[in-house]
Amino acid sequence: MRKYLLRRAAFGLSTLIGVSLIIFVVLRILPGDPLVAMFGLEGFAKLAPDDRARIMEDLGLSDPLPVQYARWMHDIATGSLGRSFFRGEKVSEVILHRGPLSAEIGLLAVLISWLVGLPVGIISAFRPNSLSDNVARSLSILFLAIPGFWLGMLIVLATLFWFNYKTPLVVVHLWQDPWANLQLIVGPAIVLGLGQGAYIARMARSCLLEVIREDYVRTARAKGLKEALVVMRHALPNALLPVITLSGILMGFVLGGSVAVEQAFGVPGLGRALVVAVIERDTIVVQNLVMLYAVIFVFINVAVDLSYAWLDPRIRYR
Amino acid sequence: MTDARVGVRAALAVGRVEPLPERSVTRELAGFARRNPMAVAAGLVGLLIVVMAITAPLIAPSDPLKTDFRRMANPPDARSFFGTDQVGRDTLSRVIYGARSSLIVAFASVLLGTTVGALWGVASGYLGGRFDLVSQRITEVLQSFPDLILAMAISMAIGTGMPAVIVAIAITRIPFGNRVIRSVALTIRELAYVEAARAAGGSALRVMTLHVLPQCVAPYLVLATAHLGVAIIIEAALGFLGVGIPPPTPTWGNMLADSLTSLVPHWWLVFFPGFAITVTVLAFNLFGDGIRDTLDPRLSPAFLRMMAGGRRG
Repeated sequence: MRKYLLRRAAFGLSTLIGVSLIIFVVLRILPGDPLVAMFGLEGFAKLAPDDRARIMEDLGLSDPLPVQYARWMHDIATGSLGRSFFRGEKVSEVILHRGPLSAEIGLLAVLISWLVGLPVGIISAFRPNSLSDNVARSLSILFLAIPGFWLGMLIVLATLFWFNYKTPLVVVHLWQDPWANLQLIVGPAIVLGLGQGAYIARMARSCLLEVIREDYVRTARAKGLKEALVVMRHALPNALLPVITLSGILMGFVLGGSVAVEQAFGVPGLGRALVVAVIERDTIVVQNLVMLYAVIFVFINVAVDLSYAWLDPRIRYR
Repeated sequence: MTDARVGVRAALAVGRVEPLPERSVTRELAGFARRNPMAVAAGLVGLLIVVMAITAPLIAPSDPLKTDFRRMANPPDARSFFGTDQVGRDTLSRVIYGARSSLIVAFASVLLGTTVGALWGVASGYLGGRFDLVSQRITEVLQSFPDLILAMAISMAIGTGMPAVIVAIAITRIPFGNRVIRSVALTIRELAYVEAARAAGGSALRVMTLHVLPQCVAPYLVLATAHLGVAIIIEAALGFLGVGIPPPTPTWGNMLADSLTSLVPHWWLVFFPGFAITVTVLAFNLFGDGIRDTLDPRLSPAFLRMMAGGRRG
């Protein structure tokens, strides 16, 4: 197991190096002159050549690219991620201030997706092609098509219209005011959780239907166990493995989707910070936030792999 | 299928190729419709949306860009069925024109991304070796980004506007095409007729294009249709976040973003564009499911869904 762990960790690390290279190429090399991006073409033309050189120097953009890349890696290693071009905020402060909110949304969304998706999938698999199965499948197909941010906007609109309720707009941490914090995160978490729940329900249904055909399940039935016991105790644990993997893959959608859903709910999370930075073309912030999202995603996938190997010993020895 | 192949081989053996027995197209279609009524209905809805996008100037009740300051933020009424926005533009016309941007971006990006990915996948599956190893690592890295975030970063780097959005979404589709088609190429590479082509002295390029590539068409089509819905949602999300096709060109995404500019959004400005997205994505997804069941029953729904990814917005 330890060998497997080390191998996966090394693999994840090398992937992250590739990720950082791609981010660097896309954001530092492609866009041309960052000053044009910052000041616009007209503003750029008004700058004196000395000023241009000085600003570039200040931003650390006049060094050769390998040096810039090395400095970025050093920054990541030491945790001081540079400053925003425009606001002078430290990127690390932005992450510490807004990150917890987005993390809570993500975790709650995963929890909701399991709490909703798993029972629905089990009910579907219990009686395939029954009315309840068809309703569950139709709903999951529908939820796969509805854009989360639109659902979010509709919820905001509906609560505003019927209850005249508006969520708070400022960052409130769990440890400051749990109730206000919950109001901030519950909407996005439900929207993201239902979207993933639709996948989990589909996956749980098809995996259960596959496992139920196995010999050992027939044995369990033959010895006279109740159907509920057969499914919950014998079939479910084996059917869950692919669902766990799927859940890891879906985290990528939660991370990406939360950016749009946070915007829809007006939640001042990390996603909002990223959107603002992209619109302002704040390269340093974008580069670090995109890297952060990728790090989280890779980390989750490695964790899923490990849990999978822990649950299914056959994988460790491959 | 097998019979036909045996027939061709037999015919080749006697030096004379007879044409395969012709199958009636209408009968094929009727069979498809009977087996997948849902997919056919969805396909018709999808077709209707495509026609709507193409004929937008003919069917839109008014100019989508024409402002009217006497009719600002009007709720739906007899003159404008979907209401008007904050500067008096007709929402129905804007939704109809919005279909154009959404569909062009979706089709172009899926075509570009899946094709590049598929060709790359054929090459890395067939050639194997170090090329395959490096390709797989690059794919892993590309898949380590949540794809909306990757699309945002790329479109920020290469500018806004339709071509940039298309390229940004296409790049996020490349890994999926690469992985699926590579796995197909890996199995086809081992088939006897490919080996025969190699033994006959066919170059790698020739064997790939003439013998491996044609076998990848069915999975390619399945994959491409499965990704249309995803591409539409990513496009809408980019527009919604203000990094997609910029106004005044109406897109469903930037219409939703526009609706947020008033303190209390008007419900008709929120509801109709999003409804258009949902109906379109639903139609494409259901149609894609039918295509998959017909063309490639081996690809299980769970597997393809996983490869297709899902809701990004």
